[in-house]
Amino acid sequence: MRAQPQPVIPVTVLETKLYVPRPRPGQVSRPRLRERLDRATRATLVLVSAPAGFGKTTLLTEWLAASSADGGRRTAAWLSLDAGDNDPAHFWTYVIAGLRSLVPDMGASALELLQSPQALPVEAVLTTLINDLGTVDGDVVLVLDDYHVIESREVHDAMGFLLDHLPPQLHLVISSRADPPLPLARLRAGGELVEVRAADLRFTAEEAAAYLNDAMGLQLTAPDVAALEGRTEGWIAALQLAALSMQGRADAGDFIAGFAGDDRYVVDYLVEEVVQRQPQPVQDFLLRTSVLTRMSGPLCDAVAGSTGGKAMLQALERGNLFLVPLDDQRRWYRYHHLFADVLQARLMDEHPELLPDLHAAASRWYADNGEPAEAIRHAMAGGDVQQAADLVERTLAAVRRDRQDALLRSWLEALPEDVIRVRPVLCIAAAGSLLSTAEVEGVERRLRDAERWRDLVFDDAGRQGERPPELVVVNEQEFAWLPTWVSIYRAGLALALGDGPATVLHARRALEVLDEDDVVGLGAATALIGLASWGTGDLATTYAAYVSCLTTFERAGHVADVMGIAITVGDLCVAFGRLDEAMGTYESALALAAAQGGPAPRGSADMYVGISGVHFERGDLGAAHAALLRCRELGEHLGLPQNRYRSRVAMARLLEAEGDLDGALELLDEAERLYVGDFSPRVRPVPARKARVWVKQGRLDDVRSWARREGLAPDDELSYLREFEHVTLARALLVEDRLDEAAGLLDRLQEAAQSGGRTGAVIEVLVLRALVAQRQGDPRTALAAVSRALELAEPEGHVQVFVDEGEPMASLLRAAAASGHGPAYLHRLLAGQGATAPSSRRPRSGDPVEPLSERERDVLRLLATDLSGPEIARRLVVSLNTVRTHTKNIYAKLGVNSRRAAVRRAEELDL
Amino acid sequence: MSEMSSGADHGPGRYEIRLTGHLDPRWAGWFDGMAVTNDADGTTVIRGDVVDQSALHGLLHKVRDIGLPLVSVVRLDADQPPPPSPRKARP
Repeated sequence: MRAQPQPVIPVTVLETKLYVPRPRPGQVSRPRLRERLDRATRATLVLVSAPAGFGKTTLLTEWLAASSADGGRRTAAWLSLDAGDNDPAHFWTYVIAGLRSLVPDMGASALELLQSPQALPVEAVLTTLINDLGTVDGDVVLVLDDYHVIESREVHDAMGFLLDHLPPQLHLVISSRADPPLPLARLRAGGELVEVRAADLRFTAEEAAAYLNDAMGLQLTAPDVAALEGRTEGWIAALQLAALSMQGRADAGDFIAGFAGDDRYVVDYLVEEVVQRQPQPVQDFLLRTSVLTRMSGPLCDAVAGSTGGKAMLQALERGNLFLVPLDDQRRWYRYHHLFADVLQARLMDEHPELLPDLHAAASRWYADNGEPAEAIRHAMAGGDVQQAADLVERTLAAVRRDRQDALLRSWLEALPEDVIRVRPVLCIAAAGSLLSTAEVEGVERRLRDAERWRDLVFDDAGRQGERPPELVVVNEQEFAWLPTWVSIYRAGLALALGDGPATVLHARRALEVLDEDDVVGLGAATALIGLASWGTGDLATTYAAYVSCLTTFERAGHVADVMGIAITVGDLCVAFGRLDEAMGTYESALALAAAQGGPAPRGSADMYVGISGVHFERGDLGAAHAALLRCRELGEHLGLPQNRYRSRVAMARLLEAEGDLDGALELLDEAERLYVGDFSPRVRPVPARKARVWVKQGRLDDVRSWARREGLAPDDELSYLREFEHVTLARALLVEDRLDEAAGLLDRLQEAAQSGGRTGAVIEVLVLRALVAQRQGDPRTALAAVSRALELAEPEGHVQVFVDEGEPMASLLRAAAASGHGPAYLHRLLAGQGATAPSSRRPRSGDPVEPLSERERDVLRLLATDLSGPEIARRLVVSLNTVRTHTKNIYAKLGVNSRRAAVRRAEELDL
Repeated sequence: MSEMSSGADHGPGRYEIRLTGHLDPRWAGWFDGMAVTNDADGTTVIRGDVVDQSALHGLLHKVRDIGLPLVSVVRLDADQPPPPSPRKARP
């Protein structure tokens, strides 16, 4: 419901999550497992499933390093998952960002879909991604590490979809502590699954010996090695800890005897050994920083309350203390999970009183350093729900901008009820979040809470009065807009429940109290009024609402919203018979998008379908074709959900006009399958369009059963919503020679359309009325009707509505000409009769330069803006280096050597 | 017909989770304050109340994450004191 306050900026990509871990020195080589992984290229999925500390990540690291050392063409993307990836948009954005580290252009369309304001089925996103992957040369390995953190059904389902449609180039590798809920049994049965499990990963006696004696240089005897291997059961993390405990010890034999004779949890025993040998400051540091999932020097300083965090981390890494680097610059680290768990358990046992302070310090640090999600997580972990709620309030705008709906919902679910209820800003955020998933019941409850606060604080004009002491407001901006948004969501709820009058009532109330800076609120409220009045056939109100909405979003530069609304405004203009205005609406939406730079926004394809429609009405079928071709070139992903059927309907109409009736029907069948409803009324249903084609084919039985099915009869009461169907029925009556019934229906339709200002329909009805009169042998009425139609049609250049009727209409037009009707326009109409349509668009004569790739065009468009290189990189979700490479290629292809020159040259070439 | 629909099985309950190996009782805090006790047979029992099934699964995830093999999960009757020797997978 609520659109974004600003143009879309992609979610900030944390590089540490995409870092491909490097093999560490002294790692035991495991050729037997590497060979098994090499089978990945013939399997659909590689699953490395084993508990923590079994060396899953290490094995994958070794395998990837070995296969790239072999000079293999295989390249790998790595994604370290965390709980935040349960948000599907987040998950797929990172998957694509990971793949982009290998193939820079990968998934551009998918990313755009993920960022677009209209939620889209994830299958659509994946389909474009799968298509992109299908064009890649060579193998691509995608490693999803720590998949067990994923609990979201939606992510699992989408992974299942990806597995079902996996292009041969992509090899999925999942490492997890638990088997993921994917169709493993089926894959296993089909031989499409390569598995590496705990039993495979355990160190064998030989591997244990190689590790302890060769890699760690411990010089243990064979019985000692066997004792350690037996005690740890080949569990690698335990063996590593044991080796650490023995380093620099003279009495390794005693240590092993003591260890082997103890049945304490091996990790407890060993971490104790290792930690206790550290100096006190190191022990303190380890305990305090164990609450962190990632560590940098400054963050550790903030949490441990000391300085020298960076040096400490480096020392720990040198001492092999289970520190895993997360980047090549040695800025971010994490502890090995097992080690962190043991440290945390100790901290909770020995110093539970420190926990709130440690989490609070971490929360503050993240908040100050622009990572609100981590800040909120720590605030919640430390039990400071008020701080967490404060942070959520402050982060709302950014969360909406980045479309992290699932993340927002998870925060709101985690916050206690009594905290949310006294915070109207959160009540309203929760209502909006629920409304977007149509959870009507929850919306009602949240809205009632928000309304209670509104009534206590605001007067009828939306002015604030005194606040009750229990009220909590952190985000004053959002609070000031509370009265507006309560009413907007009320209106949205009413619309979802099908209550048009209540929708309008609430939306008008929202407008009364609207703050002039609340652009999105203005847009949402007017759109709701428009939608509700459209359903009742009040087109004038609908139009007024949508145009003011369009202007608002244009002024604010919200291109995506402009596109969505321009479709409706264009449709309404066509209904009013105002073709120039319709064309202008589509064109200025496209111009606005072009002026903003960046890749073409979603909805661009819809504009070309609209443009095609206007050309069609004007009888320029060539231009209508060209516009549809442009729509297809842009691709389905740049169309809004309705465009899939709308574009097919437009094409069907063209084929119908050109006489390919079977082709038209085929497209209409497809359109019917692809139809998706939205809140707007279905004023031109596809079945009626099919009936029109049947009328032309003389399939009158089919037409009759259509009319029966839809419950249509000539003496029906008329309503705007069924106008298109009734005009279709009149066409059928004409062909069936039921002329009196046709005439009666058309006369009534004319009156209704005229009083509703729907000139487009009036013209068509008059044309049909003239044909009926002609058949009735009433040339006077026929001529009067056609003359009136011509008067209405000439100013805006309607042509096709006459041309479509063939010879009977041509003779009427000749009669009109003879009676002195405007010669120039009539000449055009008569020329259009059976003549081939002119083509307004010439193909560009051989491009003088090597064509730019789609990605290069994207970069070029952004070069024309005043965005800096890093800003361009962020916008396209690629690295700065990638942008530089594209820029270099663009310069080379255009034969220029500066940004200014490239932009100028591109303009000259109309690129 | 079904006990499931009553919701009783989804609500709060007392559980006992048994693991192989001796886990130090200091892990109690990490396991949300459940009691951690070592049995003479070399197993560890984590016992306590959970508010619902999600909490129980969260607890099992924690068990998984420290890598100790799971022996059994038993629901103790909430209305009665825990029996002296609840069902075990292995004596």
